Order: sequence, then structure tokens, then C-alpha cells
Amino acid sequence: MLTTYLFFGLALLAVLGALGLIIFKHPMNGAMSFVVTLISLAGLYALLSAKLIFAIQLIVYAGAIMSLIVFIIMFLNIQEKDLPLDPNRWFYVAGGIVVVAPIAGLLINISRTLPATEVTVFDDGFGSVKEVGQLLFTQWLLPFEIVSILLLVALVGAVVLAGKREVN
Amino acid sequence: MTHTVTYLGFIPLLPLAGALVLGLMYLSTCRGKQISERIYGVLGCAGPVLSFFMAVKVFFALMSLPAQERFLTHKAFTWFAVGDLNVSMGFLADPLSSLMLLFVTFVGSLIHIYSIGYMAGDKNYGKFFAYLNLFLGSMLILVLGDGPVVMFVGWEGVGLCSYLLISFWSEDSENVVAGNKAFIVNRIGDLGFVLGMAFLFWGIGADGFDYLSLKANAHHLTAPIGLTVCLLLFVGATGKSAQIPLYVWLPDAMAGPTPVSALIHAATMVTAGVYMVARFSFIYAQVPAAGEVVAWIGILTALLAAIFAMFQSDIKKILAYSTVSQLGYMFAGVGVAAYSAGIFHVFTHAFFKALLFLGAGSVILALHHQQNIWKMGGLQSKLPITYWTMLIGGLALAGCPPFAGFISKDEILYSALATGHVGIWAIGVLVAGMTAYYTFRMIFVVFHGSPRDQEAYDHAHESPKVMTIPLLILAAGSLFAGSANIPAIFGGHQRVSHWLAPSLVEHHPHGGLGLEILAIGASILAFVIGISIAYRKFTVKVDEPDYQGLYNFCYHKFYVDELYHWVIVAPYQFAGKAISRVLEPYVTDAPVQASGWLYRMCGLAFKVVQVGYVRIYAVYMVIGLSILSLLVSRSLNF
Amino acid sequence: MITHYMSLSVILFCLGILGVVSRRNVFIVFMSIELMLNAANLGFVAMSRLHVNMDGHVLALMVMAVAAAEAALALAVIILLHKHKGNLDTNIFSLLKG
Repeated sequence: MLTTYLFFGLALLAVLGALGLIIFKHPMNGAMSFVVTLISLAGLYALLSAKLIFAIQLIVYAGAIMSLIVFIIMFLNIQEKDLPLDPNRWFYVAGGIVVVAPIAGLLINISRTLPATEVTVFDDGFGSVKEVGQLLFTQWLLPFEIVSILLLVALVGAVVLAGKREVN
Repeated sequence: MTHTVTYLGFIPLLPLAGALVLGLMYLSTCRGKQISERIYGVLGCAGPVLSFFMAVKVFFALMSLPAQERFLTHKAFTWFAVGDLNVSMGFLADPLSSLMLLFVTFVGSLIHIYSIGYMAGDKNYGKFFAYLNLFLGSMLILVLGDGPVVMFVGWEGVGLCSYLLISFWSEDSENVVAGNKAFIVNRIGDLGFVLGMAFLFWGIGADGFDYLSLKANAHHLTAPIGLTVCLLLFVGATGKSAQIPLYVWLPDAMAGPTPVSALIHAATMVTAGVYMVARFSFIYAQVPAAGEVVAWIGILTALLAAIFAMFQSDIKKILAYSTVSQLGYMFAGVGVAAYSAGIFHVFTHAFFKALLFLGAGSVILALHHQQNIWKMGGLQSKLPITYWTMLIGGLALAGCPPFAGFISKDEILYSALATGHVGIWAIGVLVAGMTAYYTFRMIFVVFHGSPRDQEAYDHAHESPKVMTIPLLILAAGSLFAGSANIPAIFGGHQRVSHWLAPSLVEHHPHGGLGLEILAIGASILAFVIGISIAYRKFTVKVDEPDYQGLYNFCYHKFYVDELYHWVIVAPYQFAGKAISRVLEPYVTDAPVQASGWLYRMCGLAFKVVQVGYVRIYAVYMVIGLSILSLLVSRSLNF
Repeated sequence: MITHYMSLSVILFCLGILGVVSRRNVFIVFMSIELMLNAANLGFVAMSRLHVNMDGHVLALMVMAVAAAEAALALAVIILLHKHKGNLDTNIFSLLKG
């Protein structure tokens, strides 16, 4: 019972946050509502017994990535006048809904074919650090190493890009 | 029975090789390097002179053979073999071609030597000798060819060289127009020649398409095909040898340098038509009707051209019309089946007409390129050698006994009379009188009396020896060439006729002594009347006459050129302009350009999709994805 | 019940597409992409809960790492774009116009 209510509440929050992201004019407002979505998603992960992912989502996504984004938004000092005029926005949104609806329809119909299982929360043996770690360092060792190289590349790339001096 | 000799191939090859070498040397000077005129001159004359010596050798080789076996052949290589038609580049030296060979190379060499002096100082000196050698090589191919196809190679080659040499001074566009006219009118004739060859092959060509095989098979030729072949070949001859209706190019061809006029348009190229008719005597003898046509067209041309020559004021044009007129005589001769008489007139005509042209060139050069006879006069004392040699040439042309022209012309007229062609004979006698008149009109106006242009007269001087020595040699030829064929009535042996007998199919007419005396008497009478009228009119001081009425009409050559222009040339030009202005842009170009326009429009239509905003490209992706998902939903029956 | 989680994931994903397509602000486009990644993460985790298999979690971890790297670089590019144009409108970058 509690899980059902929790699920619907968190789901509603997530959808509202996403809607806020695409509706608000100022990117700061959009970023804030996106944070709401991220946190509710973290809650959903916890409901799915994904303990490590729940924690990592909060730490990495809502914590690091969103704070980076918010920092950059504030750094660029966007004023009201800098924001692009977008008079046809609602037209685009309406058109977007029309275009996206078949995709959504198809995917939801496909997901309805899944077996109807109850989602109960496991205490342990599933979704904790130990299981993820075991998998990560045995079966998924190569992707793990590659991801670490990817992070290194991203680091170097970010330093190079942002450190460029203007030529003129 | 024929003998094979390999040196026959060298006779045309030497001038052609000379043309190649001279051409390359001339081209190498385009970067500013200079080659002296002496080198060009020596190289240019080497080929013709060597060919002349080889021609003499051929002549003596033939003389050493018995009369019926006088055929030397040489097949250089097989040109092409298609079905029944097997053509090889072969050469045939028999009495007819050896005679032509002799005087073509002899007169050709003399004119080459003359050109060394005439063209001195011209900046295209080397090009001139290259072209002249090329011409001589082509003419030798024409004469020595062993079949109609090889003859046609030479035929076209001399046409080409005629065009190149007429428009030699190409900075002046009128010369180029004259060259074009010559080539185009020639081409019309060549069409007839090719059609004639085709019919000939169809008729009797299956067993070999060279003269000896054709002659052996000639009796298989049916009368209609024979007549067609003869007439079509004659159309080619009217183009090349300037008969009615295709004579209009020859007077315009005087735009070329005088040695060109002498060599090509007097002595050699224009006689190719007569040579061709004589070569095909085995067909023409079978179809007398064709001979009639040839003879009548010939004599009418002679008459028309003589009328024109009587009124011209350009010294070279007088000689040009004279050439057309004499060619008419030659065709009249071969038309009445007197082939050897026609060829003999070709032989003598080469000497005195070349002489007259070269003499005219000497006069023109002495007066600094003045060609109007009404601006000349009294040059007898200033240009003595030119005067005496031109006088000899003029007497030969006019038919004064015992010069060469009298004997050959008389032979033709007697043959016409003896075969019953009285009309042709009468017109021939009239033309002989006119010939005497216009020849001496020219000589009296140019050399006698007092000078009409004093300043030019003072600067005139005799030409250098390199030009006057050929004049003297040709004068000797004009005097003595007649002795080769003196008829029996004067105690001669008709050596040329007997020499030519194995090559021709000829029946010598015997009209009896009375007819012969009548013919000779009439010729001499015509000559005397003509020259006396000229003497009375032109040895007193007389200036350029007024051009009015009938005189004007004759001076403008009956406006034939203008008629041709308005009836034939102008409609073609109009059609060409109409096609290029209407047909081409709207009918042929329009669909092609429309398809290009269509592609461009399609491209423009597709260009709309590429807006350049990446977001819109993302939109395209999403649209594609949604269409895909629609299709998948439908197939999965959701 | 799992279908609900999957439907939620689909809805969030489609909202992300909508954001990319209809907004002109660079930040909003970028964050919509992140939203799409999160929706995919949710799908992974839900599926791994359905089959009681840990592979989905590991994949979700990988996705998060990649998203972090991408975020860093994308923001660096956005800073450079702002330096060049002074504007955050995606419509002005049209050099690919055909």
C-alpha cells in the first residue's frame, strides 16, 4: 500500500518536474525543477531496491552534475533580455506532442506486455554495493576500465576547451 | 602483261617527303628562329627535280618494252579490303601516265625554280614551298594511281592544296573567300566523281577495282550504267577542270600567287579532268552519247570563256578565262573520242599557258603588284626577255603555225570535223579567232604603245635570272613541243598518238585530204582575222574603255557569279541563319536545357530541407522515429 | 506494477524529446537530454528488478558516468559558444545552411 502511494507521489513529482523543465522560460527555473525530477527519481530507485543507484543518483546527478549546470547558468549571468524571444513556442510544443505521441503510444503498449509482478523491496542480496561491486569487477571489468578512460578524456577535454584564450 | 618496279612509289613520295620536311622546318621557325630562304628554295626544288629525273627513267624504261607490254605497276600496300572491294595503294606507269608524268614534273620543277625568285621576301616563304611540294606529290599520285580510288586520293589532295595556296595570303579575307569558293565548288564535282565510282564498282568492280582489270571487264558494262558512270565522272571533271556550270572558281582563284596560278590552274590540276576522261576511254568509247555531252559542254564553255576573256582588264583574269576556254577545247577533243588529240593539247597547253602566267607574274612583280592592263603599256623595252617569251607563248596560244598550240588545236578541230561534229568544229573555229584576239589584245596593251602609268614604268626592271631562265625554257617548249605529234599531212609521224595507243581505246578518224585542208585553212584564217582586229584596235594609243551596256554585261561575266550567289548561296545562308536563330535555340537546345533546368529546380526544392539549424535536423529524426513507431504499432496490432 | 515504472520511464523520455525539439535555449536542450538519459536509467533499473539481475544496475552506473563526462564537455562548449556569440539561441548557429 505504502509503496503504491509512494510510487504515485514520486512519479507525479518527477513528471511535474519534467514539465517544469520544458515550460519555464528562464533556465534557472528549469534547472530547479529538473533537480526535483532527479530527486524523485532517486526515490523511485530506492523503491526498486536499487540501493547503490539511489545513492549514486543523489550524489552524482543531483549533486555534482546539477550543481555544475546551475553554476554555469549563474556564471553566464543570463538576464531577462538575453533570453531568446520564442513567440512560436506553444506551436512547437503542440506540434511536438503530435509527433511524439505515436512513439509514446508504441512504447507504452510494448511495456504493457510485461508480466504483472508486484514490486517488493528486498532487504539484501539485491541492489546493494556488494552485488554491484562483484559484477563490476568480474563480468564488467572492461567497460569499467573504458569508462575510467572516458572520464579522463572528458577531464582533459574540458580543461582544454574552457582554457582557450580568445584569439582576437 | 605488266612488269613490277618498286621505284614507282618514290616518284610521288619525294615531293611529299619534301613537303613534310619543309613544313616541319617552317613550323620550327614559329619561335623566332630564322631559316634562310636559300635553304627553303633548294629543298623545295629538290623533290620535283628528282621526280623529273625518275619520270625520265620511267619513260625510257617504257620505251625499251614492246608496245603492247608497256605497263609498269607497283603495289605499295593494301589499303583496305571490304567484301568484293579490294583497294591497294598501287601505281601504274603506262604511256598515258608517263606522258603526263613528264610534263607535270618538268613544268612543275620550272615553276618551283621560278618561285624562288617570285616569292622572295615573303614572310611565309617556307610554307609556300611546303604547300607547293604537297601539291606536286598529290598530282603525281593522281597521275600514277593504278585505280580510280588512288586517283581520287590525288584528286582530293590537289583540291586541298589548291585551297591552301589560293588563300596563301590569308590576311586579306577576299583571298580566303576565293579559296573557299574553289574548294566548295570542287567538292560539288567530287560528289559526282564518288557516285560515278560507286556505280562503276557496282557494274564491273567485282573482279578488281584498278584500271587494267576494269578495262578487261569493260564489255560487261550495261549501257544505262555505262552512261550513268560516264556522266557522273564528268560532273567531277567539270568541278576540277572548270567547265560549265562549275567554272566559277577558276577566275577567283587568281587571288593566289602567280606561280600557283601557273602550276595549278593552268598546267596541272585543271587538266586532271581531261586525264580522267582519257583514262576511262574504255568506258567512254562504249557510250557515244556521253561523249556528245562532254564535247558540247566543252565547246560551249570554250565559247563562253572566250567571250569573257575578251573584256577583262586584269591580266591574270584574262589568262584564267583563257585556261577555261582551252580546257573546253580539250574536253571537246576527248568528247568526240579523239583522246590522244585532247591529251596532246593538254601537253602543249601546259607549256604555253605556264609560260604566259609566269610572264604575267614577271610583269606584275616589275610593276610592284599592278595587275590592271590599263595601267601598263610600253613595257617592251623595259622587260625584253619577258616580252619575247610572252610573245612566243601568245603565238602558241593563238594557234599560229608552226607553234605547238596550232598543231594540237588543229588536231582537235580536225577530229571534230572528221567524226561529223560540224557544229562543234564551227564554234571551235570561232573560238580560235577570239583566242587570237584576246591574247594579242593583252600583249599589245601591256607591251606596246606608250606607258599609261609613268611612275610605275620608270621603276620597272627585268626580273632576276632565276625567273627568266624558266621563261626561256618554257618558250622553247612552246616552240618545239608541237613537233612531237606532227600529222602526216605535214610529213610527220604522229608520234604522240602512236605512243598513247596502248593506254586508250581509240579509233582514228580518216576524213580524207579535203577535210584536213579545210580544217587547217579555217584555223589559220581565224588566227589571222583575230590578230589583225587586235592589231588595228590596240596598237594605237587606247585607254580603258567605258563600261556601258553590252560591254558592261560582258565585263561582268554575264553576272553568272551573282546569279549563283542569289539562287544557291543566299538561300543556304538564309537557311543556316534560320536554323541557328530559330531551330537550334527552340527545338534542339530547348529540351536539353530544360532537363538541366529541371534538375536545378529539383535541387532547389530539396534545398529547402537543409535549413542549417541542428534542432530542425533533430526534429526530422524524431518525425522519422514517430512514423516508424506508427508502422510498427500497426503491424503489432496495438 | 512494473509496467507502471516502464510507462513512467517512457513518459519522461518523451518529455525529454519534446524539450529538445521545442525549446531554443541551449541549457534547456541540454537538460532535456539529461532527462532522456535518466528515463533510460529508470528503465534499466526497473528491468533489472523484474528479472532479479544486477546487470541493469551496472549499466545504469555506466550511463551515469557517461552522462557526467558529457555534461562537463557540453558545458565547456556552451561557455565557448557564449564567448563567441554572446547569445544562447540555437537558431543563430546556422552555418550548415544548404
